[in-house]
Amino acid sequence: MRICMLTWEFPPRIVGGIARHCLGLAKALAKEDHDLHVVTLEFPGTPSFEDVDGVKVHRVRVDLGHPNFITWTFIFNHFIEKEVAVLSRDVEFDIVHIHDWLTAPAGISSKRYLDKPLVSTVHSTENGRTQGLHNRDSYLIDGLEWWMTYEAKKIIICSSSMKGELEHHFRVPSDKIAVIPNAIDVSKYRRHVDQRAVKRRFGIGPYERLVLFVGRLVPQKGVEYLIRAVPNIIRQNGEVRIFITGDGWSKNYLEDLARATGYADRIRFLGFISDSELVELTVSADALVIPSVYEPFGIVALEGMAAGVPVVAADVGGLAEIVERDRTGVTVYTRNPESIAWGVNRVLSDSRYSERLIQNAKKKVEEVYSWEAVAKRTVEVYEEACRA
Amino acid sequence: MLHNIGATDSGRSLTVEEISTWTAMEPEKIRENLQKLIETDCIHLDSNGGIEKYHITTNGIRKALSMYS
Repeated sequence: MRICMLTWEFPPRIVGGIARHCLGLAKALAKEDHDLHVVTLEFPGTPSFEDVDGVKVHRVRVDLGHPNFITWTFIFNHFIEKEVAVLSRDVEFDIVHIHDWLTAPAGISSKRYLDKPLVSTVHSTENGRTQGLHNRDSYLIDGLEWWMTYEAKKIIICSSSMKGELEHHFRVPSDKIAVIPNAIDVSKYRRHVDQRAVKRRFGIGPYERLVLFVGRLVPQKGVEYLIRAVPNIIRQNGEVRIFITGDGWSKNYLEDLARATGYADRIRFLGFISDSELVELTVSADALVIPSVYEPFGIVALEGMAAGVPVVAADVGGLAEIVERDRTGVTVYTRNPESIAWGVNRVLSDSRYSERLIQNAKKKVEEVYSWEAVAKRTVEVYEEACRA
Repeated sequence: MLHNIGATDSGRSLTVEEISTWTAMEPEKIRENLQKLIETDCIHLDSNGGIEKYHITTNGIRKALSMYS
């Protein structure tokens, strides 16, 4: 099939999980000989066109700006739409596939212009991300999200909890929705990592244990509850370091909170780190904590499971579908520092229990969450959309 | 805001006066805010031929857009 995929982020432009999702899916589709064109936004230092393992990546330069974010999204959508029009002179696309509301206007226009079906992947909703619609921007984004579900022939979401959310919030008919989980490239975690050397490089002592958080520093990720759990974790386990990787607009607040716990010397904010460093750090961690309050899927859980680190995850959304309590990880109550501390202490203090979780989790990731399986299922959805 | 108006690399960096026109903020206040953002590696200052221009860094782009993804 000839696929036109539109996304506002594609590596190295990585804001949230969409970039990695699009890369993994696009590469797997290209490997199956589909003609895959990704149209995305420019990023400093990247070429306007490149071939990434068979995926044709077109980066659009946005020559016009506006200080208002929402207005800016409409402007960049216009430039993406123009790029699709230019590409369509040489490629007769079979399908247009958009990811989240950010490329909805361009996707919907392209659908009309090309007269081809639109498939929308909804990675999350504004209503979920902000836990309700509290301002004008949120209402506008919510409306655009409804529009992208309305215009799509098929909607892809990553978990059953998201399916319920779309059916309830946007009144989307059930048969229009396909649940296809996220996936990861497990081969990244198969290389040898000298864990002691990695810990030394990050200033962690030989007897210190590493508790890791990976994600954007925004309220929906629940990092504040992990930070509030730190005194309890340290009281029970002593030599523990908490590393928080990622960046986001809540960072200053979280740094202040870390100081307020009295354990700021144990909590380190690493900011955004490279993929390679992240793999090394994850493999070297003694526990990976995912304290989210809203998580449609939780790809970081898969990464931890593949890396062989015990996962302690909040019992919410897609996470509750990936992490099986006492089998592939530890589930804890969301927004609950005591519960998070309990979960972390459990894996740090019982190595046999942790080892069992690790082995089960690795097996599950390899069997269920491969990009090959996700690509195969996605093509089935494309074919259904073309037939509908 | 620097991201949304396209000041994302050295070739498209802006002076304080230009940013002031976009934002309708006082230049002094802008300088103060930019200094804080430089310290957190979100903004880069280019000084060419005595002219100071600012653009958002890749780190700043990721941080600013994190609330929408």
